[in-house]
Amino acid sequence: MSELGRSEPAAVWREYWTRGRGSAAFVFGLGVTALLIAVALVSLVWTPHPIDAIDIPNRMQPPSADHWLGTDLYGRDVLSRLMAGAVNSIAVSLVAVGIGAGLGVPLGALAAARRGLVEEVVMRFNDFTFAFPALLSAVMITAVLGPGAINSIIAIGIFNIPVFARLTRGASLSLWKRDFVLAARVAGKGRTRITVEHILPNIASLLIVQMTIQFALAILAEAGLSYLGLGTQPPAPSWGKMLNEAQTLMSLAPHLAIFPGLAIMVTVLGLNLLGDGLRDLLDPRLRRQR
Amino acid sequence: MTLLSVTDLCVTLDTPDGPAPILQDVSFELAAGQSLGIVGESGCGKSMTALALMGLLPAQARVAGEIEFEGENLLALPEAQLCNIRGRRLAMVFQEPMTALNPVKTIGFQVAEGLRWHLGLSRGAAEARAVKLLARVGLPQPRFSPDLYPHQLSGGQRQRVVIAMALACEPALLIADEPTTALDVTSQAAILDLLAEVTEAAGLALLLITHDLAVVWQNTARMLVMYAGRVVERGATPAVFERMAHPYTRGLFAASPGALEAALPAGRRLATIPGQVPDPRHRPAGCVFAGRCPRVQDDCLPAQPAERALDAAHGVACLHPCLEEEGVP
Amino acid sequence: MALFLLQRLTALVVTLLVASLVVFLVMEVLPGDPAAVMLGINARPDTLAALRQQMGLDLPAAQRYVLWLGGLASGDLGTSYTYGVSVWELVRERLGLSLPLALIAICLSTALAIPLGVLAAARRGRAADAGVMGFTQLGIAIPNFWFAILLILLFGVHWQILPAGGFAGWEAGAWPALKTLILPAVALALPQAAILARVTRSSVLETLGEDFVRTARAKGLTRSAALWRHAVRNALIPVVTIMGLQFSFLLAGTIIIENVFYLPGLGRLVFQAIAQHDLIVVKDLVMLLAAAVVVVNFLVDLAYAVIDPRLRGGRSYE
Repeated sequence: MSELGRSEPAAVWREYWTRGRGSAAFVFGLGVTALLIAVALVSLVWTPHPIDAIDIPNRMQPPSADHWLGTDLYGRDVLSRLMAGAVNSIAVSLVAVGIGAGLGVPLGALAAARRGLVEEVVMRFNDFTFAFPALLSAVMITAVLGPGAINSIIAIGIFNIPVFARLTRGASLSLWKRDFVLAARVAGKGRTRITVEHILPNIASLLIVQMTIQFALAILAEAGLSYLGLGTQPPAPSWGKMLNEAQTLMSLAPHLAIFPGLAIMVTVLGLNLLGDGLRDLLDPRLRRQR
Repeated sequence: MTLLSVTDLCVTLDTPDGPAPILQDVSFELAAGQSLGIVGESGCGKSMTALALMGLLPAQARVAGEIEFEGENLLALPEAQLCNIRGRRLAMVFQEPMTALNPVKTIGFQVAEGLRWHLGLSRGAAEARAVKLLARVGLPQPRFSPDLYPHQLSGGQRQRVVIAMALACEPALLIADEPTTALDVTSQAAILDLLAEVTEAAGLALLLITHDLAVVWQNTARMLVMYAGRVVERGATPAVFERMAHPYTRGLFAASPGALEAALPAGRRLATIPGQVPDPRHRPAGCVFAGRCPRVQDDCLPAQPAERALDAAHGVACLHPCLEEEGVP
Repeated sequence: MALFLLQRLTALVVTLLVASLVVFLVMEVLPGDPAAVMLGINARPDTLAALRQQMGLDLPAAQRYVLWLGGLASGDLGTSYTYGVSVWELVRERLGLSLPLALIAICLSTALAIPLGVLAAARRGRAADAGVMGFTQLGIAIPNFWFAILLILLFGVHWQILPAGGFAGWEAGAWPALKTLILPAVALALPQAAILARVTRSSVLETLGEDFVRTARAKGLTRSAALWRHAVRNALIPVVTIMGLQFSFLLAGTIIIENVFYLPGLGRLVFQAIAQHDLIVVKDLVMLLAAAVVVVNFLVDLAYAVIDPRLRGGRSYE
């Protein structure tokens, strides 16, 4: 990133674009992510059918011209519910990753800036949260607070904190030893100011890549929680819940079990490929090797 | 009897920005039991020459020319037969003893491994031989048990282990690539003495690659000076040192610290050669050294000068070689 | 070695204590009145009072914590409110399913991932590499419960060669019992194998670039001999770390997968206890699962010392 400052931003973006286009995985990831966001936005104003329109005579229909992906147990349109489910997945994951990064990055930056006892405490806390996988902490939280979208956000968010704290600390530590940071310290700038002005901009690309990957993981975790009935509650549409409902109808309407899972998989695949592609693009070390 | 004969060796590295010629028309010979030094700056192709001989060039390298070793062209041999020669007839000592050894295997195992691989010795027999080899390179029992791990040894001691590994199958040629560069000064002399002693005792030919003229002076009978992937001067070591016909050799000498400093007239300061080794992808058409040469003239620019003999034991690739009387610049 | 062990043991005990404190705070102090949570808002006052007394809620929190710890240490996990049997009894019964399931899944994922990862590294940039990497991308992206549902659709519903769910029980014989565990184990193992294969590949690639691999080649070892004898073992160090970290994901996975297949294991027990608001069982199980993760990672630390002799003299932080 420090290299970026030297050339004109527009030229840099153009260069990214030129090189990014060359990677099929990156283009696929970007395309899927853009499509997902577009679908979610469209579903806010328009879906092929109202998402809650119950139509018992036409329930569990296979895909047809009217219902492209068929209908569920109550005759609701699967495609419409999938589209609305995208909003739910994005919202929960976005807030959860936001919590993780919002708390994790300052903690990691603090640990790197202060070292000593602060660092030890932060890192021990980290080690310890790794003992509780997202699902286990979600289980604990929902056991006490009850199931729901908000509580699954909290549970997934908490698990994301140590991921960002660890990454930020590791990346910042090496920066603190670099000359330009040293120069800023000699110039009398405080640790907080140096962190904001020099450290964070330099690790921003790393953080963006990690956010993409955590976002994908959060979508998986949210789907798992709603599948178990611990996350988003009906009647709000969610991909995990749709799979749960589909499972009992597996021999009657197998198509119901296919599409929500496919939606999760393609979304996660797209986000992961986008993350990998971004990493290749933004990592200056890799850039020089190319 | 000629043990190794390298003819017109060319190595080209495929890089994302196009092919980069790393070695161009490198030729030399080495007789059994003889020693040859290759000297030059980093990036001049010394190490690539060693790796080409071993057949261990990186995958994106393309090789042309001929490497004849004990009557066989190594470049034409299939990989399986190369493996048979590597480590058994042709052995190598590396620059970095800190990383050249596997950290999770004992030194006894690593020395014995070649014996078991090539000679099919049993584990016990190979390890007994390994203990003897370790003693021979100055790591005797019981202080240096074969059960030690590399991290328990110093840099110099590790380099001794690497040498023991290289000697294990009694090869005919030992390639030592900057064997002392990574070591502290006291170990450097001891390792060079050890190399001289073991090669002499076993009648082993030595190809010593270094950037240090003093090391070449003390340890080799003949030498090559390489610059930007080409041989620019060659000959019997004393003859080359006496005249230093190529301006690059003179620059290298003037720039080398250490043991050679004593040979310099009082008051003469260490010099540096101005400029940098040209990028292999954008080498100028003419003499590779022209861009940095203090003696460059117009006729140096059209083409790389061919090597010509100054006398029976001395050759140089330069149109305007220095004369002996001129002294060091 | 003794010092190393002592360091790791101390860290283990401290982590376990902190974990227990957090679990206790979240499950018993945060809700205010856990008995009220368990019984719901319509509980009769006398039932509530009885449960409070059974849970010892009239004692101060600190004392309850110490009592709970003592119980954990002596194997007395309390009595389940809904099942009316001791939690330890429940756990022991369910462990008979969950432990073999987890072990089969770990073996499957390791047996699949390490050869695939090494293969991809050895054939870097070629078709085999691209194939393995594509497979791992899919394996990471696929939600394990959906994969499980697909497996049931194919093997259970369509071809009907494996049971679609439920557990035969070990008393039905080893094979019928194992048969019911095959699909769940595959569903658990696939995402783990995908991650593990990627880690193995990058670790082997990194090790292949090390000088000592070149040294081994200079000794005359063939490419594959150098790979297997020198690169793979060194490359296993990060792989073992990831396996340790994955264990916690495996436990989390069992909570979902046991539900998909209706398997009466620990994961399903956790889930059922939540549905029934049996906080006593949830608290003990969460603690046990967390302890399992911590202990496994402790064992991973010990495994390092076996793989890497440099660590036997003590290990530095970072």
